[in-house]
Amino acid sequence: MEIVLDGLPLARRLTRASALLDITGLEVRYGGIAALRGVAISILPGQGVALLGANGAGKSTLMKAIIGLVRAAAGEIRFDAVPIGSLRPDRRARRGIGYCPEGRRVFPGLTVAENLAVACWGDVARKTDEMFALFPALAARRASPAWQLSGGQQQMLAVGRSLMNAPRLLLLDEPSLGLSPLLTDEVIGRVPEIVAGGTSVLLAEQNAAKALSVCDVAYVLKTGVVTAHGPAAALAASDDVRAAFLGG
Amino acid sequence: MRRADAMLLLCVAAYGAYAFAAGSSYTLRVFSVAGIYALAAIGYQFIFGQAGALSLSQGVFMGVGAYASGILALRFGLGFDAALPFSVGVPVLLALAVAVPVLHLRTHYFALATLIISQMVLLVAVEWQGLTGGANGIGGIGGITILGMPIRAGWPLAATVWVCVALGAALSAWLMRGRAGHAYAVLREHPAVAGAIGLDGGRMRLAAFVLSAAFAGFAGSLYVHVIRVISPDVLGFPVMVTLLTIVMIGGRLGVAGAVAGAVLVIELPEWFRPLREYTLLVYGAILLLVVVAAPGGLVGALRLLLPDRAPPAPPALAASPALAELSGLAALSGASGLLLEIDGLARHFGGVRALGGVSLGLRAGEVLGLIGPNGSGKTTLVNCVTGLVAPDAGRVRFAGADITGLRADRVAHAGIARTFQTVALVDDMTVLDSVAIARPRTDFATARAQAMTLLDRLGVADIAQRRCGGLAYGLRRRVEIARALALQPRLLLLDEPAAGLNETEQADLSRRLRGLAADGAALLVIEHNMAFLAPLADRMACLDAGVLIAQGTPAEVQGDARVIEAYLGRPAAVSRPA
Amino acid sequence: MLALQLLFNALALGAAYALVALGFVLILNATGAVNFAQGDLVMAGGYGGLVLARMLPVPGVVLLPLLMAGMAALGLMVALVAYFPLRRRPPEAVFISTIAIGIILQNGTNILFGPELARTPALLGDGEFRWLDGVGGGLVVSAQSVAIIVVAALLIAGLHLLFSRTQFGRRLRATAQDREVASAIGIPVDAMVAATFAVGVALAGAAGLLLARGFFVTPNDGGNYMLKAYIAVTIGGWGSIPGAVAGAALIALFEVVFPALPALVPALGGPAFSQNGATIVLDALILVILVARPQGLFGEASKARA
Repeated sequence: MEIVLDGLPLARRLTRASALLDITGLEVRYGGIAALRGVAISILPGQGVALLGANGAGKSTLMKAIIGLVRAAAGEIRFDAVPIGSLRPDRRARRGIGYCPEGRRVFPGLTVAENLAVACWGDVARKTDEMFALFPALAARRASPAWQLSGGQQQMLAVGRSLMNAPRLLLLDEPSLGLSPLLTDEVIGRVPEIVAGGTSVLLAEQNAAKALSVCDVAYVLKTGVVTAHGPAAALAASDDVRAAFLGG
Repeated sequence: MRRADAMLLLCVAAYGAYAFAAGSSYTLRVFSVAGIYALAAIGYQFIFGQAGALSLSQGVFMGVGAYASGILALRFGLGFDAALPFSVGVPVLLALAVAVPVLHLRTHYFALATLIISQMVLLVAVEWQGLTGGANGIGGIGGITILGMPIRAGWPLAATVWVCVALGAALSAWLMRGRAGHAYAVLREHPAVAGAIGLDGGRMRLAAFVLSAAFAGFAGSLYVHVIRVISPDVLGFPVMVTLLTIVMIGGRLGVAGAVAGAVLVIELPEWFRPLREYTLLVYGAILLLVVVAAPGGLVGALRLLLPDRAPPAPPALAASPALAELSGLAALSGASGLLLEIDGLARHFGGVRALGGVSLGLRAGEVLGLIGPNGSGKTTLVNCVTGLVAPDAGRVRFAGADITGLRADRVAHAGIARTFQTVALVDDMTVLDSVAIARPRTDFATARAQAMTLLDRLGVADIAQRRCGGLAYGLRRRVEIARALALQPRLLLLDEPAAGLNETEQADLSRRLRGLAADGAALLVIEHNMAFLAPLADRMACLDAGVLIAQGTPAEVQGDARVIEAYLGRPAAVSRPA
Repeated sequence: MLALQLLFNALALGAAYALVALGFVLILNATGAVNFAQGDLVMAGGYGGLVLARMLPVPGVVLLPLLMAGMAALGLMVALVAYFPLRRRPPEAVFISTIAIGIILQNGTNILFGPELARTPALLGDGEFRWLDGVGGGLVVSAQSVAIIVVAALLIAGLHLLFSRTQFGRRLRATAQDREVASAIGIPVDAMVAATFAVGVALAGAAGLLLARGFFVTPNDGGNYMLKAYIAVTIGGWGSIPGAVAGAALIALFEVVFPALPALVPALGGPAFSQNGATIVLDALILVILVARPQGLFGEASKARA
């Protein structure tokens, strides 16, 4: 699908009206530090969006602000046109936002099947089977406690867990962290499939090339500010991304 | 002394004057007991307040002091004063015996250990009937005598007790004045920082625990001669609960809190006679209320209501020596050879490799920029060098000496200082004291004068008297760097110093760091912000997954294909659905 | 035969201790904080059973569900006043607030019931079974002990089913393991923590009813039970649920067997084998464990909890 993000104000307004997630003027502070300043992002239904930036740029903070684990000092977050900024994280999750945290953070003492089940408010058996179809490697380990899984399997489990409640928006925070290139491909490679299934994805990645290759549009964050955004292909060709990571 | 504390002591003095004037022997007796609890509570503030460790054995230390003094009086006719070496010494020995194995344990284990010790001592006292009189205890203990002179009950006794309280309070305030008090604040709020600025946390905790036992033993020996009987009650948990309540209500820090808390808690049942049956119940309710609503106790609440007026003027800048002279850095700038040599450093956490054999060298006067993606091991490297984390393999040599696995405070004394990823300053401490505390081997007044020079060097001398809590982030960063410099380091490790700074502040910081290098210090700077780091660094190194993948000039490293791949990755090998 | 008798007695005692320790460790895992009032809640359970028995003259086993429901409500109240206002403060704040709850419970009971020994009704009856009378003194098995073992086993089994088979129970465990992520995937963590308090305190109450028959109850018993739970969890491995049960069993075994050692081994004797002597020796052993194996006797040092 081809969406023009920049350009005419009219087009921009149209995009916003139909956006699944619409963030304007978002500011988050830790102590005295502004971790995010004036961030505006909008995600359409069925869109894969990459969020790029070096560490410390504010990617994880933005993810946490969307799910509600950190409080915004200013700005508005609308999900499905409803402001969700004052809701508790669990309320936001139940409205249809799936969250896959940085560093996986599966529940170590729960089995694979239990990790999936606790995140589901629908037909647990059916959704579990869906996840095992998406990540066959997990099916064989369904009764193992999560701490026994390898890093890659834990990452798959974390992604699967965040999909259990059939979210309309999936927040994927650094799924490639600590994984080999092959495993990274296996996890990030699932993004087009997830998007094709109708779930919008916001993928925060340090691994810009990989993220751009599976997303439609991208935003670049640098020290808490959006410095560039546009179609993924255009950004991949430009020098903006490299500059954001390594200076230039 | 802070205004709030003075106010509280004034209130206690006023009540004391009333008690002496009213003069009923009962009133004075209760007031004496309040004084005894005040002494034990002043002691409790060392371990629970200053060191921040929840000890549950303070009541037993007091009881042991009481037993020692009482038994010596009955069996050997020793007076209160002659028995003091034992009534203070026995609890101190007990504290030492307990502390060596358990003092380093975490909060809940330390609390459990002290609780178990308390139970054991109580049971031993009950069982060892020949010595202690068992569950019934022993009566007929004489009153206080000093140098053979008996102190009469009534006002002389109350006056004696309160003179002891005054001396104890003065001793405590004297011990915690200047550097020591600030050092405990750092240890309590940021234990990792304490080591990094050269404080020996283990020794400080031990000192606090032993002091608390000594004060408790002294209080116990007064107690037994005022009450005149000794029974296992004095070792029971209710005594501990009373002390805990006193310190929570009065405040964990500041002798005024302990004294006011003791008077309040001990006198309360006297003021509300009809409620006496409910005393302990009321204690419980008050304790709960205080924990929830006023964690700083009376002192904390009053300090908020009565903030101090203008703080004393900081030491004049002109009076303090120049930085180069004070740090001896200039003398080193000509030194050749490697100042820091890291050789094959490795560290695993669980099954995860954080560092997989890293070798690096750093010369005096050089700035090395260390970059790498999230989780690549940069902070672990700094933690291994500074003794916060012990490496599994590899060696670290500094200025020719092997410092591998040295404790953090020893590394700091060897001349390596660091800052932390998140700024770790004590909110309630002034900027000047925060820096002066890290100044080794000088008296505190000199340290403060020297700290002024460092603050000036970082451009923050004008805020020397402000408390750190209210400072903007950029200023806090600079104060932290000034504190690291106070150690006279020859090597400075900075973990993301530019994070959260705006561009003007970054430029300013960069200029000041270059100045330090020009003076001969070696700098290792972890940073993601290339615009900041590239012009600052002489050399750059890049870590990825715990391994060094590139080293060279900033331009070389930034252009290195492996570095770009580590940061930006390669496109995923996936087919996209149509 | 004496050994068998001791083993049986230890089993009954250990079953009741296990309930106390389980309640303690559940709350510990959900909040990261020590519930110092756990022992006083056991004591309160004993008096709760007493009050219920005065109103309803039925066997204890009928009173048990009523008591547990009431104790669950008390648990919610404890969470409300002593945990939720403090959840963003260091864990020692909860340590102290629960000490305060313990003081209030202890002295409240003292005012209401006086310091005398009290006793709850038997679970089923006070009968005794005697077996093998001719052999070495025989084996005496009281109906109460059997009932304690059965009731505790049923409760532990029920708890196991709750935690492994129900969404509610799994979500309680998820909350205990990572509160932040649990809330981010839709679990209402505050409600889960409150529920944990309800379950943990209900278990304390059940233990109170079970113990206050054979061992009576006084308002001052709380500290003792709290220490047992604390110790059981420490030697079982901080935060481990099976460890807590095993730790409780070990403590009970020691308390039953140690004072009887002179009877088992005639060479031994002396004051060390009194009840107090046993406690002192146990305390010393715990200190050794604390110093030498802070992660507990069983299993590896799992995720450290401050």
